[in-house]
Amino acid sequence: MNSRERVLLALNHKEPDRVPYDMGGTVVTGIQAKAYSRLRRYLGLPEKEIVIVDILQQLAQVDDDVMEHMGLDFRNISPRSTASFKIELKLTPDSRYSYFYDEYQVGWRMPVDGGMYYDMFAHPLMGNITEDDVDQYVLPDPLDPSRFEGLREAARKVLEEEKRALVIGNISAGIFELYLWTRGFKDGYTEWAENPTMAKKILRKYADLQLAYWERMFEVMEGIPIDVVQMADDLAGQNGMLISPASYRRNLKPFHKEMFDYIHAKTDAKIFFHSCGSIRPLIPDLIEVGVDILNPVQVSAANMDSAELKREFGKDLCFWGGGVDTQNAFDERYTPQQVYADVKKRLQDLMPGGGFVFNTVHNIQGNVPPENIMAMWEAVQECGVYRH
Amino acid sequence: MELKTIFEAVVNGDVQGTQNLIQEALADGIPAETIIHEALIPAMTQVGCLFEAQEYYVPEMLVSAKAMQTGMKGLKPLLASEESTLSRQSNPRAAFGTVKGDLHDIGKDLVVTMLEGAGFRVTDLGVDVPPEKFIEAINDGAQLIGLSAMLTTTMLNMKSTIEAFQNAGVRDRVKVLVGGAPLNQAYADHIGADGFAKDASSAVRKAKELLHVNEVSQRA
Repeated sequence: MNSRERVLLALNHKEPDRVPYDMGGTVVTGIQAKAYSRLRRYLGLPEKEIVIVDILQQLAQVDDDVMEHMGLDFRNISPRSTASFKIELKLTPDSRYSYFYDEYQVGWRMPVDGGMYYDMFAHPLMGNITEDDVDQYVLPDPLDPSRFEGLREAARKVLEEEKRALVIGNISAGIFELYLWTRGFKDGYTEWAENPTMAKKILRKYADLQLAYWERMFEVMEGIPIDVVQMADDLAGQNGMLISPASYRRNLKPFHKEMFDYIHAKTDAKIFFHSCGSIRPLIPDLIEVGVDILNPVQVSAANMDSAELKREFGKDLCFWGGGVDTQNAFDERYTPQQVYADVKKRLQDLMPGGGFVFNTVHNIQGNVPPENIMAMWEAVQECGVYRH
Repeated sequence: MELKTIFEAVVNGDVQGTQNLIQEALADGIPAETIIHEALIPAMTQVGCLFEAQEYYVPEMLVSAKAMQTGMKGLKPLLASEESTLSRQSNPRAAFGTVKGDLHDIGKDLVVTMLEGAGFRVTDLGVDVPPEKFIEAINDGAQLIGLSAMLTTTMLNMKSTIEAFQNAGVRDRVKVLVGGAPLNQAYADHIGADGFAKDASSAVRKAKELLHVNEVSQRA
């Protein structure tokens, strides 16, 4: 059974030979560069320069030798920034932060001393804005040909030579995320309750951007079967939803439905949807609007017990993530034995009947030792096999 | 009558309404301090309860906080001339910040707003705050230090921050309250914090408990 066959069985709620394994298939199921570099050394693989595929999260590109070694089943194909846009990294005058502006004019910075990620500090639509400001705010061109250069050939290689499952990434973060990133968190959340008309005007603009992008991507990939389309919108936190379920249904769900309907109408791809946190109250809504796969399954958040989720939603939803409790059983504070035990439990909860892709809860962070990554891997090799 | 409607305007996040009603109340001769203690502060307490009950979420809480802050802004200048419990030097002093390396401030900002609403005098030290800044705040008289972190990677700096307090010999002079998404009571105990709060509303409760203050700014 090759990787793609394994994945397609699992995503169609059937049991393959073993649980499919992802590391680096998406920008939310990857590995941070520092952890990746240590992992390579630990595995005795040759020293090489680490390629960063996501500058914000400092994610490493997972190389072929690691993919082979670990038996990874997915390869990600993501659009590029337009050729006309180049990130310029600068240093603040006090030398405390490295910073840059992205294609959306959002400013990001990372502490020079011990920083692991970039966080936002500037938002183009911050403060008191009018509808005119929204109209005049210029988004990057979703159709710029340089975004799609080489992607068709790369996708073909994944399917025909590697026989791995093909995951296509989105042009940007989710539309609600992009709303908060461009508007600023405080203004964005306040407006969500105070003036949803303005919020929806901004969401419309971002949904149009993404729809235009997907239309072109599907043209570029004409005749190539896409297995998974990656979508996202972080809607929940550790203890509960970030916004009320009622406001989701009123203001955001119609946009999700429109976009997911379009993707389902154009392809056979499964829709992978990422939202961190305690997203449980919205899971029935997400299923209703066409989400096939939920990620990252944050088992440490409130009401996100892996066994309960599988029981309640496993028939309708695939889980991609939740394979180890990243917050409470994975980093340097825990032993490889503790990691193994947690992974074993998650597999027991989530793998029966298929509908499960193994991945950590979100990216492997910079403070996870290679011993723990490989204890997790061993647990999947030993306990992630289906016995027919 | 006005006090009840001001209370409701804040709870409902009606920013303009809160301002108008406060003007009416002042015109009717109701003292600024009464408006604060009998409408604004109880309203934010109510908002905290609604948040804990998951009837309110961050957006609703932020709009109510905006209504409260807008109201306060108009009332504060009037307090100076009054014998105000809110401006009393005896009110508890706190300093809050996200720890070194952590740039996530929404949670911390909400806690600061709620604490101010409860009558604390709070210094907001901002984000990515090195231990020395917190120590300075302790030397300036803060009785409570609030440390916030949103990441499993940055929460480790809470431990080193508390250790820095010990090394500087100021640990015994303050209570340390910690919070943020990845934290729990066990971690708070492990790093030697005095208290842990899982959200802004329980942070206020915990802060009062740690400093043994009883409804600091509320009238008996």
